[in-house]
Amino acid sequence: MQHTFASKEGPIEVTLTKIDEAFVLEGHELRQHNRGRLHLTLRDGRTCLAHTAKVGDVWWVHLNGRTYKWERIEPGSSGAEDEGGLVAPMPGKVLEVLVSEGDSVEAGAPLMVLEAMKMEHRIVASSDGIVTSVHFNAGDQVAQGATLLDLE
Amino acid sequence: MANRGEIACRILRACREAGHPSVAICASNDAGSLFTEMADQVVLLNGETISETYLDQEQIIQAAKDTGATAIHPGFGFLSERAEFANAVQSAGLTWIGPSALAIEKMGDKMTARQTMRAAGVPVIPGEEVEEVDETKSLNALRDASTRVGYPLLLKASSGGGGKGMRAVHDPADFDQAAAGARREAVAAFGDGRIYIERLLSGSKHIEIQVLADQHGRTIHLGERECSVQRRHQKVFEEAPGPTMNPELREAMGQAAVAAAEAVNYVGAGTVEFLLAPSGEFFFLEMNTRIQVEHPVTELVTGVDIVREQLRIAEGEPMSCEPLMLRGHAIEVRLYAEDAANGFLPSIGPLAVFRPPEGPGIRLDTGVREGDDVTPNYDPMLAKLIVWAPSRPEALQKMRRALDEFVVLGTTTNLEFLRDLCDATPVVNGSTTTTTIDELWPDGWNPPAAPLLEEAALLVAASAETLGLHRYQTSGAAASTNNGPVSPFTTVQRRFP
Repeated sequence: MQHTFASKEGPIEVTLTKIDEAFVLEGHELRQHNRGRLHLTLRDGRTCLAHTAKVGDVWWVHLNGRTYKWERIEPGSSGAEDEGGLVAPMPGKVLEVLVSEGDSVEAGAPLMVLEAMKMEHRIVASSDGIVTSVHFNAGDQVAQGATLLDLE
Repeated sequence: MANRGEIACRILRACREAGHPSVAICASNDAGSLFTEMADQVVLLNGETISETYLDQEQIIQAAKDTGATAIHPGFGFLSERAEFANAVQSAGLTWIGPSALAIEKMGDKMTARQTMRAAGVPVIPGEEVEEVDETKSLNALRDASTRVGYPLLLKASSGGGGKGMRAVHDPADFDQAAAGARREAVAAFGDGRIYIERLLSGSKHIEIQVLADQHGRTIHLGERECSVQRRHQKVFEEAPGPTMNPELREAMGQAAVAAAEAVNYVGAGTVEFLLAPSGEFFFLEMNTRIQVEHPVTELVTGVDIVREQLRIAEGEPMSCEPLMLRGHAIEVRLYAEDAANGFLPSIGPLAVFRPPEGPGIRLDTGVREGDDVTPNYDPMLAKLIVWAPSRPEALQKMRRALDEFVVLGTTTNLEFLRDLCDATPVVNGSTTTTTIDELWPDGWNPPAAPLLEEAALLVAASAETLGLHRYQTSGAAASTNNGPVSPFTTVQRRFP
């Protein structure tokens, strides 16, 4: 029972063991009770009910008032994201482009202004760098996840 | 019912209770939404955009006529504060469930409202109005006014609301960019770029007074709500009564609110918003001439059904309210589809699981249910969770429990942010101000680390994968507009989760 999930530090290999009726990982135990309800016993002895749903490749897990997302990586696929690009967090419209190709920017500098759900959102530089390309102009519609600019 | 979503559900339920047959209108992308199931009839609107549907006055009035409706309730947002719509409804021989067009106009234009309130003896925030409409001239006039008003200051759209067209400016060097941004947002959202300046009164509380006025000359207030906790000038946490309020101040603010309403011959339900400065002085902010999002907290502590009163007043009956008596404490939080850990950006996705909390003292006002898709088409507010308890500490305890029970999977929400907020010192001791969120999390909010739970969640995910549990099938419509949830790995600031 081996699965791979994505994390910010790279793929994580998870090997489950099954002891009696429980799935076990790092001392945490999960049991499936009647009608599919998931009962979790944490390593520190706390217990809670888990709710989960898979949407796309992502497992959404609710535990004790917290919601976690674990993206499963299918065997063979890379699952890695393009690291340099700044992407649109929402579908929307580009209101303003504040930089041009070749500009050097500092981390946190505003690069672009997007409008989504009638609110303006600033796209800011995630690190110091040089703008190597700008993919959209003011007035353009962008899809969620579209790479807006490249920063090196 | 000239609205959609959560408030349409709230009002359609009131109609059902009062025995009034109801008609909903809906855009094609709202077909099958929860609110359409609560009406006796549904009229499908032509058109794609919001302007072609929920803002199309002619089409909405025609729908009322075609179905034999006799009255229109505008809810909040959309056409609720458009004086010309109130006029058009009445000209068509229909009853408008709201104040007169003149009252809407006088309060809706925030600059006119400030002038009207000054004349009525209601204190307003020090500031200046700039009537200039030409872009360059208005920006110049605003810059001149800014030096007289002083910093820090707030730029506000005269037609504004909900934080749109609003900017706080702390440094004169940022003024031009902020003014241009506020103006642009105002033009886009309201078609009116006029901006006024108010001094930014930091450390203030946002206190608002609910008023009701009937057509028999009676105007009353239903006490206050405190809504200081805001992010991007949008409220997220509201309560009644105000935790620092006392009966004398309540009466003074209540009387000022009644005076404000009477100054425009107000009829129906409305809210007069004030800033309460640390000095104890209060200033008129604006009047919302409609039902408000946070009306439930007032309903729970006063026992008044504000929407039923709206219907009663519109029918020409006297309101049914007894003298004001407050009981216990109520808190509302707004559940938004947004990524609180990523600058509160709106999020979209399917509501693969939507399991609200239950139990004594809990009320949920929502327009969605499990299986719905959250789309970028409308406001990202999914629901309002409201609790009532005999005391404020118990209400907070109940809210914490309720938030812990609330399960939403498939769309990122602000649930954990709201839960964290319930533990924040200013919230616990009632000392919240309009800048509380910025002060608590100056670099943005991130969920408190809980490595054990995160690891356990991985166990759940891996086990569920092994067992083949709960695979959620997204609908065709959802698949074409999004690629599932907003991945934490593709967000701009790359924070996780």
